[in-house]
Amino acid sequence: MDRTASRLDGLLLVSTIVAIPAALWAAFLHAPTEQTMGAVQRIFYFHVPAAVMAYLSVAVLLGSSIVYLSKRDLAWDDLSRAATEVCLLFCTLVLITGPIWAKPAWGTWWTWEARLISTLVLEILLIAALMVRRYADNRDLGARLAAVLAITIAADVYVVHKAVEWWRGMHPEVFKAGQGNSLEPKMLTALYVCMAAMTVLCILLIRLRYRTARIETRTEALRLKQLD
Amino acid sequence: MKRVGFVRAAWLVARKDLQLEWRTFDVLSSSVVFSVVVLLVFQFAIGGGAARQIASEALVPGVLWLAIGFSSVVGIARSMDAERRGDTLGGLFRAPIDRGAIYVGKLLANAIKLALLEVILVPLAIVLFNADLGGAWIELIFVLALCSFGLCALGTLFGAIVSRVGRGEALLSTLLLPAATPLLLAGVTATGALFRGDTLASVGRWLGLAAGFGLLFFFVALATFEFVLEE
Repeated sequence: MDRTASRLDGLLLVSTIVAIPAALWAAFLHAPTEQTMGAVQRIFYFHVPAAVMAYLSVAVLLGSSIVYLSKRDLAWDDLSRAATEVCLLFCTLVLITGPIWAKPAWGTWWTWEARLISTLVLEILLIAALMVRRYADNRDLGARLAAVLAITIAADVYVVHKAVEWWRGMHPEVFKAGQGNSLEPKMLTALYVCMAAMTVLCILLIRLRYRTARIETRTEALRLKQLD
Repeated sequence: MKRVGFVRAAWLVARKDLQLEWRTFDVLSSSVVFSVVVLLVFQFAIGGGAARQIASEALVPGVLWLAIGFSSVVGIARSMDAERRGDTLGGLFRAPIDRGAIYVGKLLANAIKLALLEVILVPLAIVLFNADLGGAWIELIFVLALCSFGLCALGTLFGAIVSRVGRGEALLSTLLLPAATPLLLAGVTATGALFRGDTLASVGRWLGLAAGFGLLFFFVALATFEFVLEE
């Protein structure tokens, strides 16, 4: 591990330690209580950034999988392993926080909506990809199959999203995440702070998981060398 | 050695699979029986009391596509299992042909087997649930062909992945059914429109989605299949 990399990790760690309490402050104290939905609306400050991080990790996963297939360097596979697990974590957060918010806001835990279904499909496919990796006889096979799956999953989640949007063609747009400008300024600041906190947390988690995955790969290589 | 062209290689792989099927009826026997059981179970579960109030044209598309989805999982898993038992995928990989041709051949064989299954399944579903298609047979065949192609395009790739790690139906259904959500939605919507007596034009963009889905994963699989087979 070279020095700039470990310095970067230190910086990431410090900024995460600072950012998480700041995010809690922004979401619970700084942002005003929403008039119609009340306190439950505050889950929005964690739900939306978690969803963005899940899709960010998918982008990392897709990129590292393509590079792995062309270069065959296990370091890239370690990165996709890290991205898969971190993505699964954020997806789970989204799927837990979403219904908690939806029950009081929409009156139902779950509904047919494009983002809901595509996140759930993403979660299931990521679990399946981890299973494939686990079942493979050797590391190279698992890495190759997981990379092929990752490319398919990334393409698929996009199509699923489009398809469900069409399926519910008449459905009113209940909740539009991208419309930040309609938010109250203080709410917008809270969202930005939480987004920044979640981003550093996401990068830190991927970095840490990547480093442990690197160590695992090296240990495995040493063990195989000893066996020969 | 003379190098075999892409189309010929694909055809040879497909013919090998179909010949094997003709001699053993391994895939069709298991998936036909399975899909008939699925239809019957649906008939018991929802076709009896409560569903008397539900119009059959609202019920049949969903039941039909569930049965097709489940039986395609069983069929593809069986056909890949045969390759795994004989360790013949490795042999195919070492053959001096394009790896994409192996995919296309397997896809063709899987698609033909699924089509044969649907020949039995669709009339049975119509009879069991007492639905009225109103003569739109050609349109129904078109919808079935379009969505089944996508299902096989993705299923053949996933089937090969699952067989490489030595797993069967459980893992394949975990992968294929959620991933094929768009196809199932398209299939159910388009079939539903036909049973209601609407034209295909009213569900045009769903047919476009199914075709696009099939083509997208056909090319993704064509490009990545060799990584799956690689030793």
